[in-house]
Amino acid sequence: MADIFGIGVSALNTAQYGLLTTEHNIANASTPGYSRQQAVQSTNIPQLTGAGFIGQGVNVSTVKRIFNDFLNTQLLQQQAQSSMLNSYYSQIQQINNIIADPVAGIQPSIQSFFGAVNAVASAPASTPARQAMLSSAQTLTSRFQSLNQMLTDMNTSISGQLSTSVSTINSLAQQIAGLNHSISIVTAGTNQPPNDLMDQRDQLVSQLNQQIQTTVIKQSDGTYSVFIGNGQGLVIGDQASTLQTVASQTDPTKVDIAYTNPGGGYTRIQQSSLQGGSLGGLLNFRDQTLSQTQNTLGQLAIGLASTFNQQNQLGQDLSGAMGGSLFSVGSPVVSSNTANTGTAVVSATISSATALTGSDYRLAYDGSKYTLTRLTDNQVTTSATLPLTVDGINITTSATPNAGDSFLIRPTVNGAGTISVTMADPSKIAAAVPVRSLAALANTGSGTITAPSVNGPPPANANLQDTVTITFNNPATTFNVVDTTTATTLASNVAYTAGQSITYNGWTTQISGTPATNDVFTVSANTNGTSDGNNALLMAGLQTKMTLSNGTVSYEGLYGQLVSQVGTKTNELQVTSQAQTNMVTQTSQAQQAVSGVNLDEEAANLIRYQQAYQAASKAIQIASTLFDSVLSISK
Amino acid sequence: MRISTSTIYDLNVASMDLQQNNLLQTQLHVSSGKRVMTPSDDPVAAAMAVSVNQSISSNTQNISNQNAASAALGLSDSTLQSVTNLLQSVQTTALNAANTAALTNSDRQSLATALQGDLSQLLGLANSTDGTGNYIYAGAQGSVKPFTQSAGGVTYNGDDTQQLSQVATGRQLATNDSGANIFMRIKNGNGSFATSAAATNTGSGVISQGSLVSPPPSTLQAGNTYTIAFTVTAGVTTYSITGTDATGAALPTVAQPGALPTNVAYTSGQAISFNGIQFNVQGAPANGDTFTVQPSTNVSVFQTITNLISALNTPVVPGDSAAAAQLSQQVGAAISGLNNAVNNVLTVRASVGSRLSEISALQTSSNSLSTVYQQQLSQLTDLDMTKALSSLAQQQTGLQAALQSFQKVSGLSLFNYL
Repeated sequence: MADIFGIGVSALNTAQYGLLTTEHNIANASTPGYSRQQAVQSTNIPQLTGAGFIGQGVNVSTVKRIFNDFLNTQLLQQQAQSSMLNSYYSQIQQINNIIADPVAGIQPSIQSFFGAVNAVASAPASTPARQAMLSSAQTLTSRFQSLNQMLTDMNTSISGQLSTSVSTINSLAQQIAGLNHSISIVTAGTNQPPNDLMDQRDQLVSQLNQQIQTTVIKQSDGTYSVFIGNGQGLVIGDQASTLQTVASQTDPTKVDIAYTNPGGGYTRIQQSSLQGGSLGGLLNFRDQTLSQTQNTLGQLAIGLASTFNQQNQLGQDLSGAMGGSLFSVGSPVVSSNTANTGTAVVSATISSATALTGSDYRLAYDGSKYTLTRLTDNQVTTSATLPLTVDGINITTSATPNAGDSFLIRPTVNGAGTISVTMADPSKIAAAVPVRSLAALANTGSGTITAPSVNGPPPANANLQDTVTITFNNPATTFNVVDTTTATTLASNVAYTAGQSITYNGWTTQISGTPATNDVFTVSANTNGTSDGNNALLMAGLQTKMTLSNGTVSYEGLYGQLVSQVGTKTNELQVTSQAQTNMVTQTSQAQQAVSGVNLDEEAANLIRYQQAYQAASKAIQIASTLFDSVLSISK
Repeated sequence: MRISTSTIYDLNVASMDLQQNNLLQTQLHVSSGKRVMTPSDDPVAAAMAVSVNQSISSNTQNISNQNAASAALGLSDSTLQSVTNLLQSVQTTALNAANTAALTNSDRQSLATALQGDLSQLLGLANSTDGTGNYIYAGAQGSVKPFTQSAGGVTYNGDDTQQLSQVATGRQLATNDSGANIFMRIKNGNGSFATSAAATNTGSGVISQGSLVSPPPSTLQAGNTYTIAFTVTAGVTTYSITGTDATGAALPTVAQPGALPTNVAYTSGQAISFNGIQFNVQGAPANGDTFTVQPSTNVSVFQTITNLISALNTPVVPGDSAAAAQLSQQVGAAISGLNNAVNNVLTVRASVGSRLSEISALQTSSNSLSTVYQQQLSQLTDLDMTKALSSLAQQQTGLQAALQSFQKVSGLSLFNYL
């Protein structure tokens, strides 16, 4: 009889456990990271009688969570990748939105600047036209500066975001280590899985993966070991390591991620090994897109300013003096590696603005030779000594560095930030060509002389503006060239060929036709040449001239390359981040199909356990009735 | 497959987010009318738009340069028109003056006074300024008055610099002309050589302007100066020709190839021809009279008119055949010089006119280019409105369907039936 009650009670208890588990599932249906739980029932050990084994009812052996390790790992990887792409995408979008903007972009201001230069070429004596050219030069430089400022601000903001991300990682690692501790104790003590703690820990690992990609290894004691980068341990058992941000060894404007050593100090992590998560996305954006954009913008600013200055220096201003500089030109930034042991100070100057590449360079000294690596394509130049001139930059050092010392050279990073207009007086715009030619009125031959052009690059020849006469001999097949300002004969009996270039004192001209004996041609200073805008015309021609990157691309061409680079990368990220988000959705759906709570299912379970409970109660009632009928026999 | 309840919500929310985002994007494109709003919308088109924009900007620049050049050349053209008219009136006066027999000294003086007025007017035209007060015929020195008159005649203070203007890609065009080329560099005589009579001549011989004949003189002969000396012996007039080359060395007169004629009998008006040059002498030269043939030199139009004025102002005693011959000789030289001057101005005007017509052709092509570029840019970055509006409607329907179906699905639960 007692067994009848016993079995009934065991069924009653089991149904109760079932109801409890179901209610727990319903209660946590929308808890993030929750895996549905199931009460696992099994039969009690049967009793052997003469009639065979008699069942002894039911018990709940354990409550397990429905969880698939494989799907979960897959989801973690995909989430890390997805949040990396999303964070990269949201950063690059800011550049993408501004770079081709019709108001804030560089292109419209380059165009209006050259429009103003053309206006000066058409009306060289007009002070309003000259003032307008200076004003539009101001607009152009401030556009460069504001765009550069935006990029610098983004770099600063990224340092802040990296440090926030690092503290989030530290806090998550601490919590995971804490849960590891609890889980190992509980598991060892009860031999039952602490399902809710494990869910919490998996949820934390998932959050960690949104910051940085990790590798998780499950240990036999139930703890998780979490690794980042190239297998550096972040959480081992109940111990969590701490990360921190430190100023970069090579570039003081950047921060690196490092391990905090338990005894103090820190150890740098190889930055390229930190992939995935929003931290990986920020690092990728900063090291690939941001610095490249800033460098290219700087290359454009330096190229434009230098070529324009050079042309202005070859001209003559309104007061008759040779032209000066219109723009100030940025200079390269060299930073010594903080680990350097020597005291050598390396400096770099721009020797040719048109040969710059927009790349950064690393200079390393191994004790016997210098190795200069162009960082965009890792092309290496070696030299036993400095100075060294590569890609338009001239590198010098104050002393020989120690072996192993290295330097980061960033030729164009400051270009867009430091460009400014140094000319304040509109009359200083050198619109005129400083020399002119004249055929003497007494000439009897048909010879004509072209307007002389000044030979670049500046500085112009010291005797450029001397009066030089070209006199034809008898017979008029040769001529003599005399600098009458210095009373120097520059050349005698030069054979005459019509249309051939004649170059002296830094100018070039051509004589054509048939000059007669004693005909004289003069090249002299362009005194009072206020209506001459031919040098301004040459400046205006720079707009479309292939000057930059060794004469392969124009200003607009370089800017177009930048626009296309940023646009292509943004477009790529847009597509891949969308695709990755879709993959996360798919996998998460599969994972939820296994672990998620379905309320309809739980409703059915409620009914199932309710009915089991009711049936067990009925069984106990019947047992009671039976007992009563036995008792009634004795009455 | 099991579907967890939260998945139903998550998926619906994600799908609504996506549809709303797409709808917003399409709406932004429609409201801006641009297909490419940021480079990432179409990186290739965005980069091409940069270069098309560049072309539009330089084309616009070319058009404004064309307008400026056209204005400058138009001003020059109308000034040169006035110069031509003025010179033609001077030519008429000179031709009147050539009628030496019918005119009295006072007639000639009144002609000279008229010419003096013309000269001042010509000087004024040569010193024309543009709207901003810059002299148009001064080369690079717009603020320097190019032609000034002094006792020694009119001098040119400008230079030969031509201001170029970028009127089309790869085409630069001069917008001004040197004053020296218009008014100063005018060859005297017939353009190759000039004839003159010695001031000391006593006969009535007048030498013609002459011309080049076949074979034309070689370059070595071109610099030669010839003297035609007349001898009258016993009523018979003969002439001999001697010459010097550019260095002053005497040319051979003895019989050999290229030798100059000597002691030739003179007939009035008969052509005298040697070394590719030909002229005649009319009238009766006296014994010892000489005439000179020299290579042409540049004589300014101002000098030509001044010479004519001083010739007309010199009184001729009636019956003085030598003085009449001198006058006739000088008026003849002036007429020839004026012809050369008019031809020279017309040549410059033709060049100005051809530049103007080139600009006019360029204006047409620049305007059509600007249409082409605008079309190109529009194709690259502008939105196909029909397509966009249709996809806007489609996305709207999609979002509506998602909202409605979500409401239906979320209403289904077993708990409703318990």
